[in-house]
Amino acid sequence: MSGPSRRRFLGLMGGMGMLATGGCVTAAPADPVTDGAVGLRLWTHDPSYTATFQAALGDRSIMRGSAYAPSLEVTAAAGGDLLTRTITQFMADGSPPDLLGVIISEFPRVMKGDLAESLFLDLTEIAEPFGDDLLRRGPYSLNGRLYGLDSDTSISVLYYRPEEFDRAGLPADAATWDEMLEIGGRLHQATGKSIGMVSNGDNTSLYNTYLQSLIQRGGSPFDAEGNLTIDTDESVEALDLIQRGVANGAFLVVGDPYGAAAGAAIKSGLLVALTMPSWYRVYGLEANAPEQAGQWRLRTLPRFDGGGHIASNLGGTGFTVSAVNPGREAALDLLRRVYLTPEGQLLRFRTGGFLPTLRSLYAEPDFTSFRDEFLGGQQSFLEYARAAEDLPEFFLSENNEALTVAIGAPMLGLYDGDLTPAQVIREATDSYRRQVRS
Amino acid sequence: MSLTDTPDTGTTRAALPSPTGRRATRATRARSWAPYLFISPFYVLFLLFMVVPITIGAFLSMTSWAGVGNPEWVGLDNYARLFDDPSFYTALFNTAVFTVGTMCVVLPLSLMIALALNARGLRFRDFFRTVFFLPVVVSPIVVALVFGLFFDQQFGLVNGLTQATLGSPGIAWLTSPFWAKAVVIILVLWRWTGYLTMFFLAGLQNVAHELHEAAQIDGAGPIRGFWSVTLPQLRPVTAFIGVTVLVSTAQIFEEPFLLTQGGPGEATMSVAQFIYRAAFQRQELGYASAAGVVMFVVVFALGRIAIRVFGAGENR
Repeated sequence: MSGPSRRRFLGLMGGMGMLATGGCVTAAPADPVTDGAVGLRLWTHDPSYTATFQAALGDRSIMRGSAYAPSLEVTAAAGGDLLTRTITQFMADGSPPDLLGVIISEFPRVMKGDLAESLFLDLTEIAEPFGDDLLRRGPYSLNGRLYGLDSDTSISVLYYRPEEFDRAGLPADAATWDEMLEIGGRLHQATGKSIGMVSNGDNTSLYNTYLQSLIQRGGSPFDAEGNLTIDTDESVEALDLIQRGVANGAFLVVGDPYGAAAGAAIKSGLLVALTMPSWYRVYGLEANAPEQAGQWRLRTLPRFDGGGHIASNLGGTGFTVSAVNPGREAALDLLRRVYLTPEGQLLRFRTGGFLPTLRSLYAEPDFTSFRDEFLGGQQSFLEYARAAEDLPEFFLSENNEALTVAIGAPMLGLYDGDLTPAQVIREATDSYRRQVRS
Repeated sequence: MSLTDTPDTGTTRAALPSPTGRRATRATRARSWAPYLFISPFYVLFLLFMVVPITIGAFLSMTSWAGVGNPEWVGLDNYARLFDDPSFYTALFNTAVFTVGTMCVVLPLSLMIALALNARGLRFRDFFRTVFFLPVVVSPIVVALVFGLFFDQQFGLVNGLTQATLGSPGIAWLTSPFWAKAVVIILVLWRWTGYLTMFFLAGLQNVAHELHEAAQIDGAGPIRGFWSVTLPQLRPVTAFIGVTVLVSTAQIFEEPFLLTQGGPGEATMSVAQFIYRAAFQRQELGYASAAGVVMFVVVFALGRIAIRVFGAGENR
C-alpha cells in the first residue's frame, strides 16, 4: 500500500512535539502601559488581600492623582501553589500575575538562581525614601535589593488571660522570661495549665517555634548574605528557653499550633497565655474560642536576660510586581498607594486587620485610638507601638528549607531532654551542611 | 518509504498519469493516510504527555536549573550528587519500609475481607462493600486531617482511648520516627485495603462452585479448599494486585506529605517527596529530574521483577 512511511509519520509527530515545546519560551518584557484603564491580575491565597486591593480601587483618598484606572482579576489558590504556578505561567507565555502575594516561607524559593530578578520588579527605589521607617524588608531582600512589600508586620506578642493569672494569684506582667517561666511552672503545677506552646508537629512548625524565639533573642537564621548563623549564643539561649519551658510545664507541646490541637488547648482553657504574631488573634484565638471574647489581653514579650527584643516576628506575605507584564507600572503604582501611604496602611488595617509596616504610623491617633473588643476593649496599639520600636530584623536564604528539615528532628530531642541546645545546633548545622553541600 | 516511489501504485515518474489516474492516486494516498489519522490521537497524546516530558526530564537531569532562564549543562553531576546525598538514601529506605509494610499486610488483609464479604448468607453485603470502598473516594486532605486528629499526641482520639482504657502513656504517633512510619502505613492500608478487596471479591465470585464441590467430594475441608482451590484460582488477581500495590507504593507521596510532611526530620520522606522537595521547595529542577530518572529506573525494575514473581499476565 502506498502511504507515509512509519518513519515519516513519527517524524511528523516529533515535529509537532518540538513545536509544542518550542512554544514554552520566555518572552521579553512588553512595553508598559503608561496610563488609562488597565486590567491587573492579582494572585493571592488570602481573601483579605483581595478585599483590601478592591477597597483601595474605590477609595479616592488612595487613588487620587493616579494616571491609571486599574481593574482587578483575582485568582485565589493555596499559598504554596501560587509561586509554582507563577513560574510555570512565566515559562509558558511570559505573563505571570501582575501582583502576586508570596507567603514568607515560599519566598526563599525565588532566591535561587536569578528567579527573583526575572520574575519581579525591584522595589528598592520606591522603598528607599522611607528608610528605617519601613519594617520587614529583610526577609524579602536579595543581594541588597527588595522584591516584596510585606502586608503585615506580624508582630509576635504575648496574649494572655489576666483572670486566669489573678485566680492563681500570679502576676502576668513579668519582665523577663526567667520570671515568666517560673510563674508558668507554678501555674502548671497548681492548675495543669500552660502559658505558652511549642510545636512538635511537622518540620515547619518546629522550625517556627525556634525561629520566633531566636528572632526575639536578637538572632537570625541567616545573615544578609544568606550564610547560616545559628551557631550563636542567641541561638543557645532561645533553645534553652524552649527546653526549660517544656520541662516545667510552662509550655504545652502541641502538634499543630495553627490547627485543631491548638484550638482544643485554647478552647478548653489549657492555654491561658501564648506567644504568637498579631494575626493569630483573628485566626487562632477568635476563630477557635469566640466565647472567650473580652477575656484576652496582649502585651509585649518578656525579655531574655541576655538581651534581645520585646517582640518577635512570624509569618507574613510579601506582595511582588511582575517584571515583564505590560501592566507592571500600573501594578507598582497600586502597590505603592496601598502599601506605602498612610491612607493605604489604614485601609489595610481596617479591611484585613494588618498592622502598619510604617513604624511612624503606630503613634497616629487613627491607630492608637483603636480599641479591640476581643481583647476587652484594650488599646492594642499602645503595646504594638512599643513592639514596633524594638522590632528585630532577620533574613532568609535560598537554603531556608534545608534548615527547616535540619532542625526538625533535633528539636524533638530538645523537648524530650535528650539533647542540649548546643547539641541541637550542632546536629542541625551538620544536617544543613550535608544537604546544602550534597 | 516515500509516497511517490512506491512500486504498487501503478504509476511511474516518466509517464504522467491521466486525470482519472491522478484522482485515483489522490484517493489511494488519502486511503493510505486514513489508518494513521485514526491512530494519531493516541500517538499525539503519547508524544506530548509521555515522550516529550520524559525526554525533557532526562535532559534536565543533566542540567542545573532553577525554573527560569537557560538550564546550565552539568553532565552527570546531579547523579553523582544524588548518590552522595544521605537524604536520598533516607528517602529510599523510608519508601522501602512503606512498600514492604504495605505489601505484607494489604494482600492478606484484603483477601480476608473479600472472603468474609463473599461468605454465603452474609446480610448487608452491599452496605459493607460500600463502607470498605469509601476511604478511596474520600479526599486525601480530609483523610490526613482526620488522621492527624486521631493520632495527635495530646488531644488525639487514639491516645485518649488507650489512656482511658489501659492507662498507658500517650504514644508520640506522629513525632516519633518509628511510629510516624507506622501511622503512614496504617493510613495507606486504611485507604487502599477496601479498594483492593473489591478485586479479590470479583475474583472470588469467578471461582467455579464445581471446583469447591469436587474438592469437598475428595474430602477437602474449608482450609484445604482455600489453599488448593481458592488461592490457585485467584492467582491472576493476586498478581495484578501485587504488582499494582508494589508500583504505586514505591511512588507513595500523598499520605506522608499530607500527614507528616515527611517529618519528623526526614523520617517519613519518600522518594517522590524527595523529588517534590528538590523541585518545588528548593527550586533545584535538574537535581529533582535526576532523582526522578533514578526513581523511574527503580520502579520499572521492581515492576518487571514483580511481574515475574507474581506471574502477572501468564495464562492459568
